[in-house]
Amino acid sequence: MNQQKKPELLVPALIGGAVAGVMSGIPLLGCLCCLWIIGGAMLAAHLAAKDFPKSMTAGDGAIVGALTGIIAAVIDALVSLPLQALNMRLMQRLMERLSEYSSQLPGNWRDLMQRGMGETSLAWFLLGLFISAVIFAILGALGGIIGASLFGKKPAPQPAGGPDVPQDPSHS
Amino acid sequence: MGKGSSSCGSPVRTKAKAGLIYGLTLVGSLVWLAAIILAPYLRSRGIRLNSLIYAVFAPTCHQIPSRSFHLWGFPLAVCGRCTGIYVGFLAGLLALPFLRGLGKTSPPRVWSFVLATAPMGVDALGNFFGLWSTGNILRFATGVIWGVILPFYLLAGMNSLFFRGDPEARDGAFQN
Repeated sequence: MNQQKKPELLVPALIGGAVAGVMSGIPLLGCLCCLWIIGGAMLAAHLAAKDFPKSMTAGDGAIVGALTGIIAAVIDALVSLPLQALNMRLMQRLMERLSEYSSQLPGNWRDLMQRGMGETSLAWFLLGLFISAVIFAILGALGGIIGASLFGKKPAPQPAGGPDVPQDPSHS
Repeated sequence: MGKGSSSCGSPVRTKAKAGLIYGLTLVGSLVWLAAIILAPYLRSRGIRLNSLIYAVFAPTCHQIPSRSFHLWGFPLAVCGRCTGIYVGFLAGLLALPFLRGLGKTSPPRVWSFVLATAPMGVDALGNFFGLWSTGNILRFATGVIWGVILPFYLLAGMNSLFFRGDPEARDGAFQN
């Protein structure tokens, strides 16, 4: 019976997710948008490829990438939490500037902001985390597929005297 | 094996599966782009749903207004580069059935990815390190070039994933 060791996907996904989550959570570096998630998933695919006995398929890359995206969403949320107070202060200053020019802001916008921060923050946090996880999983799957195609190649085993296995002519 | 990658136990079922994966991706892409354009429209009309749409896109984009295209007086839900990526993605997705056919489990050659990434990579790095500052049109254009290649990878990955278990699915492996 040809029983092979199952390749480890969780550890590469954790490493890739940690890198992507931390990078996208830092405000200045966040300007690279979704590229951190795709890059983190490519890193995870690269790490996972080392553990694969055979070449990685695009599907393998999609799985490790999606896992990476979900982990990145959680870490991004955790990294963003301490920065939320800073963001709130920036927002408050922005609103003060806006209130000088716009009459459309409600008079009690300060109360509304406080209330928004206090009562609904947990609900918003969880909703935001869920949305991020879904979007990051899709982007991560994409990064994982690209990573698998870049790093997942392994030489095909030479058949011992057997006939050649037909391969997809579109392969890189 | 026909055309290298699509057929499995039941070719009709595989074709249907490939069509479904493509269709769902196309619908998702259209909804995604529509939401990007809908956000400024709703904001211009004072409809509160706009905040939710902007919030949904916030984790994946910096949404800096000066780096975004404006419609109805308000910025799109994502920046110019991201808009380019999503427009390019849709364009690539529409071209995919004609250029590559549905049901492929192997992604395109690596050089095509490198080639498509180079303009955006150079532009992004130059902007990041303050070597130059490009306008939104150029950011959009480099995003489009990169976005076009992405569905070819995503669809190959999805096909490979959902055709798993088929005897010929392994042809999605990246072999030298």
